[in-house]
Amino acid sequence: MEAVVIDAGSKLLKAGFAVPDQAPSMIIPTQMKRMPEDGSLDDLSVAEEVTVDPVVRGYVRDWDAMEDLLHHVLYTGLGWEMGNEGQILFTDPLSTPKGVREQLVQLMFETFNVSGFYASEQAVLSLYAVGRISGCTVDIGHGKIDIAPVIEGAVQHIASRRFEIGGIELTNLFAQELGKSNPLVKLTTSDVEIIKEQYSCCAEDDVAYQKTQKSCQEEQHTLPDGQVITIGRERYTVGEALFQPSLLGLEAHGIVEQLVRSISTVSSENHRQLLENTVLCGGTASMIGFEDRFQKEATLCSSAIRPSLVKPPEYMPENLSKYSAWVGGAILAKVVFPQNQHMTKADYDETGPSVVHRKCF
Amino acid sequence: MYGGDEVSAIVIDLGSHTCKAGYAGEDAPKAVFPSVVGSIDQMELDDPDNSDKNSGSIPDSKSVVRSFDAEKSKGKRKLYVGSQALGYRRDHMEVLSPIKDGVVVDWEIVESIWDHALRDCLLIDPKEHPMLLAEPSSNTQQQREKTAELMFEKYKVPALFLAKNAVLTSFASGRATSLVVDSGGGLTTIAPVHDGYVLQKAVQSSPIGGEFLSDCLMKSLESKGLNIKPRYSFKRKEIRPGEFQTVDLDFPSTTESYRLYSQRVIASDIKESVCRAPDTPYDESSYSNIPMTPYELPDGQTIEIGADRFKIPDVLFNPSLVQTIPGMESFADTAASVRGLPQMVIDSINKCDVDIRRELFSSILLSGGTASMQQLKERLEKDLLEESPQAARVKVLASGNATERRFSVWIGGSILASLGSFQQMWFSKSEYEEHGASYIQRKCP
Repeated sequence: MEAVVIDAGSKLLKAGFAVPDQAPSMIIPTQMKRMPEDGSLDDLSVAEEVTVDPVVRGYVRDWDAMEDLLHHVLYTGLGWEMGNEGQILFTDPLSTPKGVREQLVQLMFETFNVSGFYASEQAVLSLYAVGRISGCTVDIGHGKIDIAPVIEGAVQHIASRRFEIGGIELTNLFAQELGKSNPLVKLTTSDVEIIKEQYSCCAEDDVAYQKTQKSCQEEQHTLPDGQVITIGRERYTVGEALFQPSLLGLEAHGIVEQLVRSISTVSSENHRQLLENTVLCGGTASMIGFEDRFQKEATLCSSAIRPSLVKPPEYMPENLSKYSAWVGGAILAKVVFPQNQHMTKADYDETGPSVVHRKCF
Repeated sequence: MYGGDEVSAIVIDLGSHTCKAGYAGEDAPKAVFPSVVGSIDQMELDDPDNSDKNSGSIPDSKSVVRSFDAEKSKGKRKLYVGSQALGYRRDHMEVLSPIKDGVVVDWEIVESIWDHALRDCLLIDPKEHPMLLAEPSSNTQQQREKTAELMFEKYKVPALFLAKNAVLTSFASGRATSLVVDSGGGLTTIAPVHDGYVLQKAVQSSPIGGEFLSDCLMKSLESKGLNIKPRYSFKRKEIRPGEFQTVDLDFPSTTESYRLYSQRVIASDIKESVCRAPDTPYDESSYSNIPMTPYELPDGQTIEIGADRFKIPDVLFNPSLVQTIPGMESFADTAASVRGLPQMVIDSINKCDVDIRRELFSSILLSGGTASMQQLKERLEKDLLEESPQAARVKVLASGNATERRFSVWIGGSILASLGSFQQMWFSKSEYEEHGASYIQRKCP
């Protein structure tokens, strides 16, 4: 049986069997709703809709919820049988505290009784997905942005950066802007998310953005409950926020600048390798016009330190950037598990959860 | 007695230039950032809402993340710690260093640096991890007691240990006796270690470190008319495809210290990529004809560096060279009393007992950022061979990997804290409560 690869993000959980050239078979939202215990809903308006987010900013925070979610994914979604669990590979974001990893291992072996476990960092996996072992990953997710230079499969922690901003902040910004221009329309966060994915885009460059702020084509969009809103220049504001974080109210540099600074921290002999193999991944990075704008801003940097994006191989599925970490995990699973480099139940029983730091890196 | 179990210790090395922090047992620190902070006096400004720093606090997905660890508004100023926070230019932000001449003067800044390392970069709770801190070889009793007090009272760590930098470097190379030449950002220290103990009377230090050399380079380039523009002061625009234009941005309320800091960052980069230690002592005439090496500045300007490539590193060996660099005359007096590196090594060894001198000569360890300069090891060996007594066999050791040299103190700490036999040597919280901070002198020799 194939190993299972799970990439638990702040918004979407990608899971599937390790078949590298395909997209993950299960892509479900990580957010869950808590239903009352006895299951009876006498009065629907009273039933508390408590949304539960097991994964916050990339890290697992609510372990009970995570257990429920994984239970659903593994047994119902992927068809594992109780008592015949296979091997599993997890992806971790950057700077995962040791304690979090150990707790995951404990959960896997104690509750789910898997036969083998491996964990790897998302930055490295995204590179594997495009066929490289060295390069720089820019992972723009829902809860966080990770910029990680990787050399020969090892993340350079000294130079990597993590930002606690992501799709969530962009959604809030979008909601705010739409609220200003459409004051009578009531919007929920999930509505705004959908609109954001459909309409947001990046202006070609700074000058073009200024133009859109003055005048822009407006489009009408009908919400599920029948209300109609007009979307104009707000769509460009959302894309611009990544290049000018002052729009989000943050004192920081744009994403290309951060990438350049991060790479300059690494010793200069590796610069070329990192710059020529820059990979953009993550849900937010698939915004229309983002890649072109990124490339354009990159050419403005001095030629010694100019990033250039890498093209994914043709045999990979479309929209690779959305789940490149999962695909990389599938590739890695095919190498690690057959060669018995993973962590087995025997290792866990003998040494305890801390052996994960020695076996998986 | 604190029995360390499976819990990982944390190793922190707060140097004069960078702070390194990470888990024990690993081969490189996870958090490396400058040990200076930006500070804005609070008087006129309103509270800015948030910043771009990492936050280990429980996040609120609906509102923008508020970081309350890296910003401290104690008293009347706000501190910005970490390379991301420092990299962003703010009005009226001064750059402050907690350490002056190797001694900590501002404990609030040290606290904020530790906070940033532990809570923002490593994302851990200090209550659960014993701490190993590296301290300068000539630390005073008062400083150690203050450190212990701060760690136990504020961070409530379960156990603590203070180890001297030189001893940790010695451990990193697997030797119990050696002469450690630690050339870091702020100063250069030469300390002999014998059986794991530093011989205090023989410790030599000089104020010439990496930052001093960067300053020399900056002044030297300025005297030739080449101005280093800090990163925030320009913006590149593309007028036509392929043609770029640099536009100068003016920020009048940027402080002088921040401007210097940004320039120094670029000068350090130039120094690291271009400078080499010369094989023979620097001489104006012999180096006047060497080919120039190009270097591209962030604003697109390309500069050529010739004799300075060799002149600047030679300041380590011959401090009186400083007088020939225009703009550095203010240091001429201090430089006169400072001796060169080989001279300090000989002095240090001569102050030790005759019996161990031979062993010290044959195991001289290089560590620190400046020590990873190219050809430094060879030049030092050569100079020492000339000046040392005939019978002594001089051997300078340095690990080949530049990263290892830079972090050798931290790596030594990582090795020490993960040894099984070390676990009983921790200074535990219960011992602190029973005997007080002065007990640290007994526990951490």
